[in-house]
Amino acid sequence: MVGLGFRREFAEEMISGTLISPDFIEFAPENWMNIGGYWKKMLHRVVEKYPVLCHGLSLSLGSPEEPDSTFLRYVKSFLEEYKVRIYSEHLSYSKCDNAHLYDLLPMPFRMDAARHMAARIRKVQDYLQRPLAMEIISYYTPVAPEMSEADFINEVVQRSGCQLLLDVNNIYVNAFNHQYDAKAFIAQLPLDRVAYIHMAGHEQVAPDMILDTHGHPIADPVYALFEWTIQQIAPVPVLLERDFNIPQMQDLQAELTRLKAICHQQWKHHELVA
Amino acid sequence: MNSSPDSRVLQQRFTTHLRTGVRTTIPGVAPDRLAHYRHAIFHMVKDTMESAYPVTCANIPRRKWDHMVKTFFARHACTAHQVWKLPLEFYTYAVENSWDEVYDVPYLSDLLAFEWAEIEVFNMEDVAPAAFVATGDWRETPLVLNPEYRLLSFKYPVHQEAKRARLLKQQGAWFVLLHREPVTGHVQFTGLSPWLAFVTEQLAAGITVKDILEYAPQLGITVTVELEADTVAFLEDMQRRQFVFGFRP
Repeated sequence: MVGLGFRREFAEEMISGTLISPDFIEFAPENWMNIGGYWKKMLHRVVEKYPVLCHGLSLSLGSPEEPDSTFLRYVKSFLEEYKVRIYSEHLSYSKCDNAHLYDLLPMPFRMDAARHMAARIRKVQDYLQRPLAMEIISYYTPVAPEMSEADFINEVVQRSGCQLLLDVNNIYVNAFNHQYDAKAFIAQLPLDRVAYIHMAGHEQVAPDMILDTHGHPIADPVYALFEWTIQQIAPVPVLLERDFNIPQMQDLQAELTRLKAICHQQWKHHELVA
Repeated sequence: MNSSPDSRVLQQRFTTHLRTGVRTTIPGVAPDRLAHYRHAIFHMVKDTMESAYPVTCANIPRRKWDHMVKTFFARHACTAHQVWKLPLEFYTYAVENSWDEVYDVPYLSDLLAFEWAEIEVFNMEDVAPAAFVATGDWRETPLVLNPEYRLLSFKYPVHQEAKRARLLKQQGAWFVLLHREPVTGHVQFTGLSPWLAFVTEQLAAGITVKDILEYAPQLGITVTVELEADTVAFLEDMQRRQFVFGFRP
């Protein structure tokens, strides 16, 4: 299954399904909950047509403070209402001192932070009665690390029992920005916990810095890393994220088609077994 | 022995810098990358405010506007999980901190309220109307109104005018009704006289036109045949515009 992030800019096209036809859609509950009117009608139309996965933005499970229980209640009800198959969030935080910052901030790769985050994930999983797929974010600076990023992720996954959302572009971006080997990094992850993959574009803005923009087509080296990665894991849903510089639908469909072809090629053995 | 601060303190230092710009040093954090985060976050917040408040932003000198957004984000702990609701916190912060006076923009809170109301009415959760029928007596039957509306009162006519000098000359009592069309979801704006604003408020409370007219003299309003006819004509027009849905059965 190869899906596409649902955005208002191309909602009509996705609902009509003539120029673009993903296998599923994904959206952030935050952008759609507690609204009515025109966009609620559009949301209902699109969820009638496609299976839905949700990708949260503001649970902020790495925050020092407790998750917001009122907001969690809304999330639970939203996931049930729209029969959401996978709910993912981020291995990061976006809120501190009870103030939201609306960005995914890098966790300190430290044991106390890993334990803290794992406890938060467990608590939310218990409340939602479903596993969370936690995304490895792109980040631009480490923060007082005392352990490797891979060790931090392994610690959180092992302690919380969560699943992983592998954003292959994020790993490519991080490997470039922090000068490590992307494949070696992926090989250290608990790959049996990968439940979902994200793919997106990026932009190099300096000789030593790539930004994870979601505003460009997927780069060829990221396709190559994706192809290598999926050979290491069992089939999972794959999502194309495109949030800015929205191209023609034919161009997005071409990216979906290319991703599908790679999945088919690398996972055909699994398909035969299934 | 590890003498460095624990992760909570590191996160507080990191985010305090991102919000306020207060200098900080955290092991492993490259200053240029910290600056990248601060720039990206401020850009997102500013962009959100400028999308929500295009008229306000265009009406205020650039430096002053940037200062407002920076001050808001640094001093206010944003609580909205949903970014589209963040402009409401900006508006509330402006009112609570008397920004009309602080920034010498006397119509600022009116303008922010007006622009926010459009977003709020457009996005508000669906509200089921009471049961209604299409015909009835305009004077004696309680009316059923479209529940998806906001009635705003202003000191300045920000719904009609954007120029400072003209706005300042027209200080008074201004009323605007915003309602969402049920089928299209579009937001309609209607400027109201103080009388029609009062009528709208009373109708929403279930009072009949007849009772409103009978009460009017206590407010110092002289009820004439013309006022009564104009009131009904207004309601008929608002039925065509899908603010008045009909009559209580």
